[in-house]
Amino acid sequence: MIADTQRRERCQTGIDALDNILYGGIPRSNTILLSGSCGTGKTSLALEFLIHGALNGERSMFLSVTESISKLLDNVIPYDFFDRSLLEEKKLLLIDLPVIYERLGLTKAELAVEEVGLLVTSILDLVKELEIKRLVIDSITSVGYKLKTQEKIRRFILKIAKGLSSLGCTSMLVSEVPPGTQAYSMFMVEEALADGIILMGNMERRGDLLRTLQVIKMRGTMHSRAKYVLDLTPAGVLLVPLLKGGGGAI
Amino acid sequence: MTLAGKVAAELEELPASSAVSLQVGIDYYLDAIRGVVDIYASKRDVEIIFVTSTISSQAILDIFKALEIDSSKIFFVDCISHTMMGSTVQDSPALFVESPTMLETIMLKTEYLLRKSKVSEKVVLLDSVNSLGIHNSNYVLSEFLHIFVSSLQSKGVNTLILTVIEHTTPELSNMVNLVCDSVIRVIEEESK
Repeated sequence: MIADTQRRERCQTGIDALDNILYGGIPRSNTILLSGSCGTGKTSLALEFLIHGALNGERSMFLSVTESISKLLDNVIPYDFFDRSLLEEKKLLLIDLPVIYERLGLTKAELAVEEVGLLVTSILDLVKELEIKRLVIDSITSVGYKLKTQEKIRRFILKIAKGLSSLGCTSMLVSEVPPGTQAYSMFMVEEALADGIILMGNMERRGDLLRTLQVIKMRGTMHSRAKYVLDLTPAGVLLVPLLKGGGGAI
Repeated sequence: MTLAGKVAAELEELPASSAVSLQVGIDYYLDAIRGVVDIYASKRDVEIIFVTSTISSQAILDIFKALEIDSSKIFFVDCISHTMMGSTVQDSPALFVESPTMLETIMLKTEYLLRKSKVSEKVVLLDSVNSLGIHNSNYVLSEFLHIFVSSLQSKGVNTLILTVIEHTTPELSNMVNLVCDSVIRVIEEESK
Protein backbone atom coordinates (compact mmCIF):
# COMPACT_ATOMS: atom_id res chain seq x y z
CA MET A 1 0.00 0.00 0.00
CA ILE A 2 2.76 2.45 0.94
CA ALA A 3 4.80 1.41 -2.08
CA ASP A 4 1.77 1.95 -4.32
CA THR A 5 1.05 5.41 -3.05
CA GLN A 6 4.68 6.47 -3.33
CA ARG A 7 4.94 5.37 -6.93
CA ARG A 8 2.98 8.33 -8.28
CA GLU A 9 5.13 11.33 -9.11
CA ARG A 10 4.32 14.28 -6.86
CA CYS A 11 3.70 17.92 -7.52
CA GLN A 12 4.93 19.54 -4.33
CA THR A 13 2.68 22.44 -3.40
CA GLY A 14 5.59 24.12 -1.59
CA ILE A 15 3.36 24.49 1.45
CA ASP A 16 5.34 22.23 3.79
CA ALA A 17 2.51 21.17 6.04
CA LEU A 18 0.16 20.46 3.13
CA ASP A 19 2.83 18.37 1.40
CA ASN A 20 3.23 16.42 4.65
CA ILE A 21 -0.54 15.89 4.86
CA LEU A 22 -0.42 14.54 1.29
CA TYR A 23 2.61 12.31 1.88
CA GLY A 24 4.80 14.38 -0.42
CA GLY A 25 2.44 16.50 -2.50
CA ILE A 26 -0.42 16.29 -4.97
CA PRO A 27 -0.07 13.33 -7.33
CA ARG A 28 1.08 14.94 -10.57
CA SER A 29 -1.61 15.67 -13.19
CA ASN A 30 -4.42 15.49 -10.65
CA THR A 31 -7.25 18.02 -10.81
CA ILE A 32 -8.13 19.26 -7.36
CA LEU A 33 -11.22 21.03 -6.16
CA LEU A 34 -10.19 23.74 -3.70
CA SER A 35 -13.45 24.35 -1.95
CA GLY A 36 -14.60 26.82 0.68
CA SER A 37 -16.69 29.86 1.50
CA CYS A 38 -15.46 33.43 1.23
CA GLY A 39 -12.51 34.50 3.36
CA THR A 40 -11.18 31.02 3.91
CA GLY A 41 -7.91 31.57 2.01
CA LYS A 42 -8.60 29.66 -1.23
CA THR A 43 -7.10 32.24 -3.59
CA SER A 44 -4.06 32.81 -1.36
CA LEU A 45 -3.34 29.08 -1.15
CA ALA A 46 -3.83 28.63 -4.89
CA LEU A 47 -1.50 31.52 -5.70
CA GLU A 48 1.14 30.17 -3.34
CA PHE A 49 0.91 26.79 -5.11
CA LEU A 50 1.60 28.55 -8.42
CA ILE A 51 4.40 30.78 -7.12
CA HIS A 52 6.29 27.80 -5.66
CA GLY A 53 5.84 25.98 -8.96
CA ALA A 54 7.17 28.94 -10.95
CA LEU A 55 10.12 29.29 -8.59
CA ASN A 56 10.93 25.62 -9.16
CA GLY A 57 10.88 25.96 -12.93
CA GLU A 58 7.31 24.77 -13.54
CA ARG A 59 5.52 27.39 -15.60
CA SER A 60 2.27 28.24 -13.84
CA MET A 61 -0.93 29.96 -14.91
CA PHE A 62 -3.75 31.60 -12.94
CA LEU A 63 -7.06 32.11 -14.76
CA SER A 64 -9.08 34.67 -12.89
CA VAL A 65 -12.79 34.83 -13.52
CA THR A 66 -14.14 36.99 -10.74
CA GLU A 67 -11.35 39.43 -9.95
CA SER A 68 -9.24 41.52 -12.30
CA ILE A 69 -5.54 40.69 -12.31
CA SER A 70 -4.53 44.19 -11.24
CA LYS A 71 -6.86 44.01 -8.22
CA LEU A 72 -5.59 40.53 -7.43
CA LEU A 73 -2.00 41.75 -7.40
CA ASP A 74 -2.92 44.74 -5.22
CA ASN A 75 -4.53 42.47 -2.64
CA VAL A 76 -2.15 39.53 -2.71
CA ILE A 77 -0.29 38.83 0.53
CA PRO A 78 3.23 40.29 0.29
CA TYR A 79 4.89 36.87 0.21
CA ASP A 80 8.56 36.92 1.17
CA PHE A 81 9.25 34.44 -1.62
CA PHE A 82 7.29 36.23 -4.36
CA ASP A 83 9.52 37.67 -7.04
CA ARG A 84 7.89 39.99 -9.60
CA SER A 85 10.40 38.86 -12.20
CA LEU A 86 8.37 35.63 -12.37
CA LEU A 87 5.66 37.69 -14.07
CA GLU A 88 8.06 39.55 -16.36
CA GLU A 89 9.78 36.33 -17.41
CA LYS A 90 6.38 34.67 -17.92
CA LYS A 91 7.13 31.87 -15.51
CA LEU A 92 3.92 32.88 -13.75
CA LEU A 93 1.04 33.96 -15.95
CA LEU A 94 -2.01 35.72 -14.59
CA ILE A 95 -4.83 35.92 -17.10
CA ASP A 96 -8.35 37.36 -16.96
CA LEU A 97 -10.66 34.64 -18.26
CA PRO A 98 -13.26 37.21 -19.39
CA VAL A 99 -10.63 38.44 -21.90
CA ILE A 100 -10.54 34.91 -23.36
CA TYR A 101 -14.36 34.88 -23.45
CA GLU A 102 -14.28 38.09 -25.45
CA ARG A 103 -11.61 36.91 -27.89
CA LEU A 104 -13.61 33.77 -28.53
CA GLY A 105 -16.80 35.76 -28.93
CA LEU A 106 -18.37 34.03 -25.95
CA THR A 107 -20.21 37.13 -24.83
CA LYS A 108 -23.66 35.67 -24.21
CA ALA A 109 -24.80 35.12 -20.64
CA GLU A 110 -25.11 31.37 -21.24
CA LEU A 111 -22.77 29.25 -23.34
CA ALA A 112 -24.09 26.68 -25.78
CA VAL A 113 -22.77 23.10 -25.69
CA GLU A 114 -20.43 23.67 -28.63
CA GLU A 115 -19.13 26.87 -27.01
CA VAL A 116 -18.19 24.85 -23.91
CA GLY A 117 -16.01 22.72 -26.17
CA LEU A 118 -14.46 25.84 -27.71
CA LEU A 119 -13.63 27.25 -24.26
CA VAL A 120 -12.04 24.00 -23.09
CA THR A 121 -10.00 23.69 -26.29
CA SER A 122 -8.76 27.27 -25.96
CA ILE A 123 -7.62 26.75 -22.36
CA LEU A 124 -5.93 23.45 -23.23
CA ASP A 125 -4.21 25.06 -26.25
CA LEU A 126 -2.81 27.74 -23.94
CA VAL A 127 -1.58 25.09 -21.50
CA LYS A 128 0.03 23.10 -24.32
CA GLU A 129 1.65 26.04 -26.14
CA LEU A 130 3.01 27.66 -23.01
CA GLU A 131 3.99 24.32 -21.43
CA ILE A 132 2.02 25.09 -18.27
CA LYS A 133 2.61 22.58 -15.48
CA ARG A 134 0.35 24.15 -12.84
CA LEU A 135 -3.02 25.74 -13.47
CA VAL A 136 -5.57 27.43 -11.24
CA ILE A 137 -9.06 28.47 -12.32
CA ASP A 138 -10.52 30.92 -9.81
CA SER A 139 -13.29 30.11 -9.74
CA ILE A 140 -14.92 27.12 -11.38
CA THR A 141 -18.13 28.33 -9.74
CA SER A 142 -18.07 31.54 -11.81
CA VAL A 143 -17.43 29.51 -14.96
CA GLY A 144 -20.38 27.34 -13.89
CA TYR A 145 -22.68 30.37 -13.79
CA LYS A 146 -21.94 30.89 -17.48
CA LEU A 147 -22.63 27.24 -18.26
CA LYS A 148 -25.85 27.14 -16.20
CA THR A 149 -26.80 23.46 -16.49
CA GLN A 150 -25.26 20.53 -14.59
CA GLU A 151 -24.78 18.73 -17.88
CA LYS A 152 -22.64 21.49 -19.37
CA ILE A 153 -20.65 21.91 -16.16
CA ARG A 154 -20.02 18.17 -16.07
CA ARG A 155 -18.89 18.25 -19.70
CA PHE A 156 -16.56 21.22 -19.05
CA ILE A 157 -14.88 19.68 -15.99
CA LEU A 158 -14.57 16.22 -17.53
CA LYS A 159 -12.97 17.56 -20.70
CA ILE A 160 -10.64 19.99 -19.02
CA ALA A 161 -9.53 17.51 -16.31
CA LYS A 162 -8.82 14.85 -18.92
CA GLY A 163 -6.97 17.29 -21.17
CA LEU A 164 -4.87 18.76 -18.36
CA SER A 165 -3.98 15.32 -17.09
CA SER A 166 -2.79 14.21 -20.53
CA LEU A 167 -0.61 17.33 -20.69
CA GLY A 168 0.94 16.56 -17.29
CA CYS A 169 -0.58 19.68 -15.76
CA THR A 170 -1.60 19.66 -12.09
CA SER A 171 -4.59 21.90 -11.51
CA MET A 172 -6.71 23.49 -8.82
CA LEU A 173 -10.30 24.48 -9.51
CA VAL A 174 -11.44 26.96 -6.91
CA SER A 175 -14.98 26.22 -5.76
CA GLU A 176 -17.06 28.74 -3.85
CA VAL A 177 -19.67 27.44 -1.45
CA PRO A 178 -22.08 29.40 0.74
CA PRO A 179 -21.01 29.70 4.40
CA GLY A 180 -22.31 26.99 6.70
CA THR A 181 -23.13 24.46 3.98
CA GLN A 182 -21.87 20.89 3.96
CA ALA A 183 -21.43 20.86 0.17
CA TYR A 184 -18.11 21.02 -1.63
CA SER A 185 -19.45 22.89 -4.65
CA MET A 186 -22.29 25.07 -5.84
CA PHE A 187 -23.53 22.80 -8.64
CA MET A 188 -22.92 19.46 -6.88
CA VAL A 189 -21.17 17.86 -9.84
CA GLU A 190 -17.67 19.30 -9.42
CA GLU A 191 -16.64 17.11 -6.47
CA ALA A 192 -17.52 13.85 -8.17
CA LEU A 193 -15.27 14.65 -11.12
CA ALA A 194 -12.24 16.00 -9.28
CA ASP A 195 -9.32 13.76 -8.29
CA GLY A 196 -9.08 15.49 -4.94
CA ILE A 197 -10.95 17.83 -2.63
CA ILE A 198 -9.29 20.25 -0.27
CA LEU A 199 -11.92 21.85 1.91
CA MET A 200 -11.23 25.19 3.52
CA GLY A 201 -13.51 26.65 6.13
CA ASN A 202 -14.20 29.23 8.78
CA MET A 203 -14.85 27.66 12.17
CA GLU A 204 -16.34 29.71 14.95
CA ARG A 205 -15.44 28.50 18.42
CA ARG A 206 -16.35 30.41 21.55
CA GLY A 207 -16.37 33.67 19.58
CA ASP A 208 -13.02 32.99 17.88
CA LEU A 209 -12.99 32.59 14.11
CA LEU A 210 -10.45 30.05 12.86
CA ARG A 211 -9.50 29.26 9.26
CA THR A 212 -9.41 25.49 8.72
CA LEU A 213 -8.21 23.08 6.05
CA GLN A 214 -9.08 19.43 5.52
CA VAL A 215 -8.17 17.08 2.69
CA ILE A 216 -11.39 15.18 1.99
CA LYS A 217 -10.13 13.02 -0.85
CA MET A 218 -7.01 12.69 -2.97
CA ARG A 219 -6.69 9.98 -5.57
CA GLY A 220 -3.28 8.39 -5.91
CA THR A 221 -1.97 8.93 -2.42
CA MET A 222 -2.61 8.27 1.21
CA HIS A 223 -3.35 11.43 3.16
CA SER A 224 -4.44 12.75 6.51
CA ARG A 225 -8.16 13.50 6.79
CA ALA A 226 -7.78 15.50 9.99
CA LYS A 227 -8.77 19.14 10.28
CA TYR A 228 -5.99 21.72 10.54
CA VAL A 229 -5.99 25.39 11.50
CA LEU A 230 -4.25 27.67 9.06
CA ASP A 231 -2.76 31.12 8.99
CA LEU A 232 -2.01 33.20 5.92
CA THR A 233 1.36 34.82 6.47
CA PRO A 234 4.06 36.48 4.35
CA ALA A 235 5.98 33.20 4.80
CA GLY A 236 3.06 31.41 3.15
CA VAL A 237 0.28 29.20 4.45
CA LEU A 238 1.09 27.72 7.86
CA LEU A 239 -0.88 24.84 9.37
CA VAL A 240 -1.20 23.27 12.81
CA PRO A 241 -3.53 20.52 14.00
CA LEU A 242 -6.92 21.59 15.33
CA LEU A 243 -6.93 20.94 19.06
CA LYS A 244 -9.57 18.31 19.76
CA GLY A 245 -10.21 19.54 23.28
CA GLY A 246 -11.07 22.96 21.94
CA GLY A 247 -14.56 21.76 21.05
CA GLY A 248 -16.28 21.90 17.68
CA ALA A 249 -17.97 24.64 15.80
CA ILE A 250 -20.63 26.58 17.66
CA MET B 1 25.64 35.55 42.08
CA THR B 2 22.26 37.22 41.64
CA LEU B 3 19.10 35.17 41.19
CA ALA B 4 18.90 36.31 37.56
CA GLY B 5 22.50 35.26 37.07
CA LYS B 6 21.73 31.80 38.46
CA VAL B 7 18.83 31.41 36.04
CA ALA B 8 21.08 32.35 33.13
CA ALA B 9 23.80 29.95 34.33
CA GLU B 10 21.33 27.06 34.50
CA LEU B 11 20.01 27.88 31.04
CA GLU B 12 23.51 27.78 29.59
CA GLU B 13 23.89 24.19 30.77
CA LEU B 14 20.85 23.01 28.82
CA PRO B 15 21.21 20.82 25.75
CA ALA B 16 19.40 21.81 22.53
CA SER B 17 15.67 21.05 22.26
CA SER B 18 15.14 21.25 26.01
CA ALA B 19 11.75 21.88 27.54
CA VAL B 20 12.12 23.58 30.89
CA SER B 21 9.60 24.24 33.60
CA LEU B 22 10.52 27.71 34.88
CA GLN B 23 8.87 27.82 38.30
CA VAL B 24 8.91 31.37 39.56
CA GLY B 25 8.12 32.69 43.02
CA ILE B 26 5.63 35.51 42.85
CA ASP B 27 8.20 38.08 44.00
CA TYR B 28 10.88 36.91 41.58
CA TYR B 29 9.17 37.31 38.21
CA LEU B 30 11.48 40.11 37.11
CA ASP B 31 14.56 38.16 38.23
CA ALA B 32 13.46 35.25 36.04
CA ILE B 33 12.79 37.46 33.03
CA ARG B 34 16.05 39.35 33.50
CA GLY B 35 17.91 36.05 33.74
CA VAL B 36 16.43 34.78 30.48
CA VAL B 37 16.34 37.94 28.42
CA ASP B 38 19.10 40.15 29.76
CA ILE B 39 21.85 37.83 30.90
CA TYR B 40 21.33 34.54 29.00
CA ALA B 41 20.18 35.90 25.63
CA SER B 42 22.54 38.87 25.54
CA LYS B 43 25.60 36.65 26.13
CA ARG B 44 24.80 34.50 23.13
CA ASP B 45 23.29 35.03 19.72
CA VAL B 46 19.88 33.88 20.88
CA GLU B 47 16.48 35.14 19.77
CA ILE B 48 13.65 35.01 22.25
CA ILE B 49 10.06 34.48 21.21
CA PHE B 50 8.13 35.74 24.19
CA VAL B 51 4.58 34.37 24.26
CA THR B 52 2.72 36.58 26.67
CA SER B 53 -0.76 35.97 27.98
CA THR B 54 -0.19 37.73 31.27
CA ILE B 55 0.72 41.34 30.53
CA SER B 56 0.83 43.13 27.21
CA SER B 57 3.97 43.14 25.09
CA GLN B 58 4.04 46.92 25.29
CA ALA B 59 4.02 46.80 29.11
CA ILE B 60 6.88 44.28 29.02
CA LEU B 61 8.83 46.47 26.61
CA ASP B 62 8.28 49.45 28.94
CA ILE B 63 9.67 47.40 31.83
CA PHE B 64 12.69 46.40 29.75
CA LYS B 65 13.27 50.04 28.86
CA ALA B 66 13.08 51.09 32.50
CA LEU B 67 15.52 48.32 33.48
CA GLU B 68 17.76 49.14 30.48
CA ILE B 69 17.41 45.62 29.10
CA ASP B 70 18.22 45.20 25.42
CA SER B 71 15.02 44.07 23.68
CA SER B 72 16.38 43.98 20.12
CA LYS B 73 16.39 40.17 20.00
CA ILE B 74 12.94 39.69 21.47
CA PHE B 75 9.79 39.09 19.45
CA PHE B 76 6.37 38.74 21.01
CA VAL B 77 3.30 36.65 20.47
CA ASP B 78 0.89 38.82 22.40
CA CYS B 79 -2.34 37.04 23.37
CA ILE B 80 -3.67 39.63 25.77
CA SER B 81 -3.61 43.12 24.17
CA HIS B 82 -6.59 42.40 21.91
CA THR B 83 -8.61 40.99 24.80
CA MET B 84 -7.88 44.11 26.84
CA MET B 85 -8.86 46.24 23.80
CA GLY B 86 -5.34 47.58 24.04
CA SER B 87 -3.09 49.04 21.41
CA THR B 88 -1.98 46.62 18.71
CA VAL B 89 0.56 48.74 16.86
CA GLN B 90 1.60 47.13 13.59
CA ASP B 91 5.25 48.21 13.69
CA SER B 92 5.87 46.75 17.15
CA PRO B 93 7.93 43.56 17.50
CA ALA B 94 4.71 41.73 18.37
CA LEU B 95 2.26 39.52 16.55
CA PHE B 96 -1.15 39.71 18.11
CA VAL B 97 -3.49 36.83 18.88
CA GLU B 98 -7.10 37.87 19.43
CA SER B 99 -7.59 35.82 22.56
CA PRO B 100 -5.69 33.45 24.89
CA THR B 101 -8.28 30.83 23.88
CA MET B 102 -6.82 30.73 20.36
CA LEU B 103 -4.13 28.22 21.23
CA GLU B 104 -3.67 27.04 17.65
CA THR B 105 -3.02 30.64 16.61
CA ILE B 106 -0.33 30.91 19.29
CA MET B 107 1.38 27.93 17.65
CA LEU B 108 0.99 29.47 14.18
CA LYS B 109 2.38 32.87 15.17
CA THR B 110 5.31 31.20 16.94
CA GLU B 111 5.97 29.10 13.86
CA TYR B 112 5.94 32.23 11.72
CA LEU B 113 8.47 34.00 13.96
CA LEU B 114 10.69 30.91 13.95
CA ARG B 115 10.65 30.89 10.15
CA LYS B 116 11.52 34.59 10.02
CA SER B 117 14.40 34.20 12.46
CA LYS B 118 17.88 34.33 10.99
CA VAL B 119 19.77 33.04 14.02
CA SER B 120 20.30 29.37 14.75
CA GLU B 121 19.59 29.42 18.48
CA LYS B 122 16.06 30.25 19.48
CA VAL B 123 14.16 30.11 22.75
CA VAL B 124 10.40 30.24 23.20
CA LEU B 125 9.29 31.60 26.56
CA LEU B 126 5.67 30.84 27.41
CA ASP B 127 4.46 33.32 30.04
CA SER B 128 2.47 31.86 31.60
CA VAL B 129 0.58 28.60 31.88
CA ASN B 130 -1.26 30.08 34.85
CA SER B 131 -2.85 32.83 32.78
CA LEU B 132 -3.59 30.48 29.88
CA GLY B 133 -5.29 28.27 32.49
CA ILE B 134 -7.74 31.06 33.28
CA HIS B 135 -9.07 31.01 29.72
CA ASN B 136 -8.76 27.32 28.78
CA SER B 137 -9.78 23.98 30.23
CA ASN B 138 -7.05 21.73 31.60
CA TYR B 139 -7.82 19.20 28.88
CA VAL B 140 -7.21 21.53 25.93
CA LEU B 141 -4.30 23.23 27.66
CA SER B 142 -2.62 19.88 28.20
CA GLU B 143 -3.17 18.96 24.54
CA PHE B 144 -1.75 22.35 23.46
CA LEU B 145 1.37 22.00 25.62
CA HIS B 146 2.04 18.52 24.31
CA ILE B 147 1.78 19.50 20.64
CA PHE B 148 3.50 22.88 21.08
CA VAL B 149 6.50 21.56 23.02
CA SER B 150 6.92 18.46 20.84
CA SER B 151 6.84 20.60 17.72
CA LEU B 152 9.43 23.04 19.10
CA GLN B 153 11.68 20.19 20.23
CA SER B 154 11.56 18.66 16.77
CA LYS B 155 12.86 21.98 15.41
CA GLY B 156 15.72 22.14 17.93
CA VAL B 157 14.15 25.05 19.81
CA ASN B 158 14.39 25.39 23.59
CA THR B 159 11.12 26.01 25.39
CA LEU B 160 10.71 27.67 28.75
CA ILE B 161 7.30 27.27 30.36
CA LEU B 162 6.79 29.79 33.10
CA THR B 163 4.54 29.07 36.06
CA VAL B 164 4.05 31.22 39.15
CA ILE B 165 4.55 28.86 42.08
CA GLU B 166 1.92 30.41 44.35
CA HIS B 167 -0.76 30.27 41.63
CA THR B 168 -0.09 26.77 40.38
CA THR B 169 -2.55 23.99 41.14
CA PRO B 170 -1.36 20.35 41.29
CA GLU B 171 -3.20 19.69 37.99
CA LEU B 172 -1.39 22.53 36.26
CA SER B 173 1.91 21.42 37.75
CA ASN B 174 1.41 17.83 36.51
CA MET B 175 0.52 19.10 33.07
CA VAL B 176 3.75 21.09 32.78
CA ASN B 177 5.90 18.32 34.29
CA LEU B 178 4.57 15.89 31.70
CA VAL B 179 6.06 17.86 28.80
CA CYS B 180 9.20 19.25 30.45
CA ASP B 181 12.49 17.45 30.96
CA SER B 182 14.02 19.81 33.55
CA VAL B 183 13.02 22.35 36.16
CA ILE B 184 14.50 25.71 37.13
CA ARG B 185 13.07 27.17 40.32
CA VAL B 186 13.41 30.91 40.64
CA ILE B 187 13.11 31.64 44.33
CA GLU B 188 15.53 32.78 47.08
CA GLU B 189 17.30 29.90 48.86
CA GLU B 190 15.68 30.52 52.24
CA SER B 191 12.23 30.46 50.62
CA LYS B 192 12.71 27.08 48.90
